[in-house]
This record gives sequence, C-alpha cells and structure tokens, in this order.
Amino acid sequence: MPDQTRYPTLTHLEDAPALSVVAPLYNEEENVAPLVEAVRAALADHPSWELVLVDDGSRDRTAELVAAQAAADPRVRLVQLARNYGQTQATQAGFDAARGAVLVGMDGDLQNDPTEIPRLVAKLDEGYDLVAGYRLNRQDKLVSRKLPSWVANRIIRAITRVDVRDNGCSLKAYRRETIQRMHLYSDMHRFLPALAAATAGARITEIPVRHHARRFGKSKYGASRILKILADLLTLTWIAWFRERPLRLFGLAGTIASAFAALFGASWVFSALVAQSLERPWGYVLPGCALLWLVLAFYLLMLGFIGEVVLRRAREESPELLPLAFERKS
Amino acid sequence: MRDVDVTVIVTVVESPASLVLLYEEFSKPLAASGRSFEFIFAAHPLFRPLTDALAPLVAKGAPIRVIDVGQSVGETVLLRLAAGSARGRAVVTLPAYRQVEAKTLPALLAQLDGGADVAVAWRSPRIDSFVNRAQNRILHWTLGTLVRDRIHDVACGVRAIRPEVLAELPLYGDFARFLPLLALRDGWRVDEVASAVHPDAMKGRLYGPGVYLRRLIDVLGLLFLLRFTEKPLRFFGLVGTFLAAPGGVILFVVFLQRLGGQGAADRPVVLLGVLLLVLGVQLIALGLIGEMIVHLTASRRRGYRLRGQKSGPERTGAESGSG
Repeated sequence: MPDQTRYPTLTHLEDAPALSVVAPLYNEEENVAPLVEAVRAALADHPSWELVLVDDGSRDRTAELVAAQAAADPRVRLVQLARNYGQTQATQAGFDAARGAVLVGMDGDLQNDPTEIPRLVAKLDEGYDLVAGYRLNRQDKLVSRKLPSWVANRIIRAITRVDVRDNGCSLKAYRRETIQRMHLYSDMHRFLPALAAATAGARITEIPVRHHARRFGKSKYGASRILKILADLLTLTWIAWFRERPLRLFGLAGTIASAFAALFGASWVFSALVAQSLERPWGYVLPGCALLWLVLAFYLLMLGFIGEVVLRRAREESPELLPLAFERKS
Repeated sequence: MRDVDVTVIVTVVESPASLVLLYEEFSKPLAASGRSFEFIFAAHPLFRPLTDALAPLVAKGAPIRVIDVGQSVGETVLLRLAAGSARGRAVVTLPAYRQVEAKTLPALLAQLDGGADVAVAWRSPRIDSFVNRAQNRILHWTLGTLVRDRIHDVACGVRAIRPEVLAELPLYGDFARFLPLLALRDGWRVDEVASAVHPDAMKGRLYGPGVYLRRLIDVLGLLFLLRFTEKPLRFFGLVGTFLAAPGGVILFVVFLQRLGGQGAADRPVVLLGVLLLVLGVQLIALGLIGEMIVHLTASRRRGYRLRGQKSGPERTGAESGSG
C-alpha cells in the first residue's frame, strides 16, 4: 500500500488557497526578497494564493531568508530539503506541499516574470490541463544556453510529438489533477509537458511570456546535458507508448531479431547449396550469426513477459489514476 | 519504548573474540559516563556457543539481550533485527572484535548530543600491517572516485546513530557496511571522530580472495544504488551503446565492402559485429525494464527527504520519507 504519511500529499484542504506558486531555490539568497515581492505585487488582485519556496539544500542563507519571509507573511511557505537533490526533486517536493487547485511552477532566479501568472491561469480556465510559457526574446547566452536548448527542444518535440516549443521554461500552470497523475524523478523536470501528455493525457497549450536576464546569482546549468537528455527521452517514449503493453514492444523487437536470424540462416543454406559444401568458413559465420539473432529474439520475448509481470504487480499494488477526461456539455 | 540512553548492538558475524570480555571492556566507559545502556548481541547461528557464554552475566543482572537467528544471515539483517527491538535513545553499532578503544563510545555519543545524526569512528592514526593499510587506501580511493565519498574510514564498524535515522536508511543486502555513505546521501549530518586503534587490532588480519571479490561486488552495488537507481537506463544504455556501437560500425563497414564486391560470409569479424550488437541491444532492453519498474513505483515513493517546513499546515510538518 502507498504510505501516504511519509510525505506531504496533494490533499485539498478546507482553507486551501486557490492558487499555489511553486519555485525551487538553490543558492539564491539575493533573489529571495525580490522574488517574494514580485509575486506579491503580481498577485495583489488575486483573492487567495500561496507561494511555496523549496530550498534545495542551499549552502547560503536562502532557507533562513525564506523562513523570515514566511514568518512575516503566512502566504509564503518554506519547504526545506535535507540536501541538494536537484531541480526535479525540488519541484516535486513543492508540488507535494502545494495546496491550491491550480499550481504554477516558476524558476527561483527571477528570470521568469511573475506578472505573467494571471495570464497563465486565465488560459488554464479556458479549458486546458497545462499551460506552458515560452520565452520571448530569451535573455541568455547564445552558445552555452540558447543553442543547446534549441537542439534539445527540437529533439524533444520530434520524439515526444508534444508540440511545446520551450520545454526549458519553468513558468507553467497546471491543474491539480494533472500534477496528481505525474510523478517526477530522475531529471524529468525537463519534459513536464511531455510527461503530462504521456501519463495524464493532458490538454496542453502555450503562451508567450516575458523573460529577463539574471540579475543576481549564477546559473546552475551546464551545457553537457545532451546524452542524459537522450537517455531520458528514450525512457519517456517508452513510457508513453508501451507502459500498458510491454510485451508488444519486446515482441516487435524480437520479431525483427528473428527476421535477421532468418536472413542469415537463408543465406547459409543458399551458400551451402551453391558451393555444395558446409566446410567453407561460411559454414560457421552465417549459422553463427543466425543463432545469435535467434538468442536475442528469444531473450527479448522473455523480457517482454517480465515486463508484463512487473506491470501487473504494480497495478495491483497501486491502481493508476484514470487519465484526465471531460464530459462534453451539449 | 525508549527507556535507556544507549543500545549497543553487537553483530557477531566473523572471528569474534570472547563476547564476555568484549562486554566488560566496552560497558565500562558507558557506565562511567553516567548513561544507562543495554547491549544486544545478534549472532550468526555459527557463533551460538559464544552468546551462550554470556548466560552467567545475564543471570547476574547485566543489561544484555541476545537475539538468536535460525537462518544464516549477514550483518545487515542482524543489525536490523537488533535495531527493531532496541530501546535506546541512541544506537551504537559495534563489531564483535576490537577495532578501536572503548573510550570511543562516549565520544561518539557526545557527538550525537551535539546534533549529529550519525557519528562514526575514524581509526586515526591508523596502525595496521602494510598490506592492510594498502588495501584500505585502495578501498577508499575507489569509493572516493565512484561515489564521491568523503568518509575517511568506511570500514570501521563502530558508529553511533539516532534510531530514527537508522530506521529510514535503506539497509538491505550488505549495505550496513556503507551506512555512513547512505546516511550522507539522504542528507543526514554525519560526523567523524578520530579514535585510537585498539591494541588488539594492531596485529593485522588477513583476508582470503573471496573477501575481496565480495567487497568489489559490494562497491559496485553501492555505486548503482547511489547513482542509478532512479535512472537505470542511463547505466544500461551507456554500457549497451558502448557495445552496440562498435558492433554496428563493424557490420556497416563489412556491408559497404560487400557492396564493393568483397565477400562477407567467410569473415569471422561478422560474427563479432553481430555479437556486440546483440549484447548491446540486450542491455538497453534490460534498462528499459528497469525504467519501467522505477516509473511504476514512482507514485508510491519520493526521492527526497524534507528537513522541515515553515508556515504550512501542521499535518505536513513531519519529516518526509526518503527514497
């Protein structure tokens, strides 16, 4: 059984605010006060909101400063992680702690403009499960940030077929139901829209948002991410396509391997007939290759069965939430 | 029920000295420091005669409990069994042989009082045979490289730990050995206490080759646990690509040469190419199964641990589970 007591759960509370803004912070001490101020100003007209600031094991005074803000304004909350876990886990921790019916994620470095939040939320109310922001006139270095990002977005779009042009922009609005159906691990914060589409069947749209250059602090990204992104994309594709029927992918791959086995086997028989002999080197090269492919086919099929066992056990232990669905009003 | 100050857990798994003498030596500084304590001896069935020898002490009223296990189990399971019935507000683990001097125990406990979650003894200066010191260097160099460890003496089993922390650590397999590293990974405060080596331990111990093989496998297991349990495909995919890519290149070159008129069927290198490709695909497929397990269980576990929250509802103020 899922142990619901061990981490804060997404339970809607009586006094819960309508809107939760979630921002992970890592060594952002200069940005804490301006960020809180900017969000407060941007949401001045909003009746009920909270700002969940997640301290991702910062080594500077970030947590202390957020705690002071929280003491002064009950709408500001601090969630402090035990060590530096990275942006994905920090974001998930913030989502877990957030209580609003609508959740907005943003960066903690003030490069996202909080005044865009009401627009994102309004767009969500038009009937979407996820509204992604894309950065107009992105204020970052071209070679180290924008170029890798452009390549990554191209690849992500091509593979996931989710039409979001700027996956790297954290400024996004979600319905609580969407967040409940996705679970972030590894480095999945990069593919939130694709993950939402794959696991929740979310209806996604995007709107342009303003982007500012970093005023304080340093960027925490490196450029050598592309291999990791590729591995994660393979995972995501696999989850999106085959998580309900692992045997199908493995069966398909096994069939392809069998085809290669048949190809090599046939050319062996053909060579043997032509030469009227099995003694030549092709007497072992070709049947050897055929057998290797056959072994692979068999192995993949067996792995497919393991996949089915895993899937069944997991579903028995924790039934999946059904995908987001809507009854059309006629 | 936490009604004593300290529970000392002695796991008896290898070449133990007399447990009676061990108890007498290590209980003395605890008693002198004014803390109430209990000793729990958890022994592998092989060493039952040694725990039986404790009976006279128990009869005299010494705070000793003995846990018998019917099955042949390792140190980690013994530790968990003992921890499950520990009554101390702090737990000290002690190997059944003497690694450090007994006065280390109060020093470790003082460190816990000072706010540490785990306090580990660090044998310094290390007095041991040349061979053992060299081994130790190699072990820590490997750990330092693979898991970015900053603990000086992982192999020292004398550790003090808060019972709540002990309960949260992923202790299975042979990972009790690496307890400080697991604690660090989950963001607990781990302090090291330089401790004098026990005179008995200076004689130097010799290990068989099987021990080295097991240690190596332990370190690999730890590496996987710390770095890849959340992303198995990154590991399997990397290794698989390193195998499949040369295989693919070989087959592609042979294919081009075949188009150029050179025969392919009588060249054993084709076998090598297919073999590498097949192995690579197998590993990547295994990684996909791993990712599936991670994904399907992600809704039930969290990969982070909270230090605390401010201004949230009371209900979520508790510290969260770790992955």
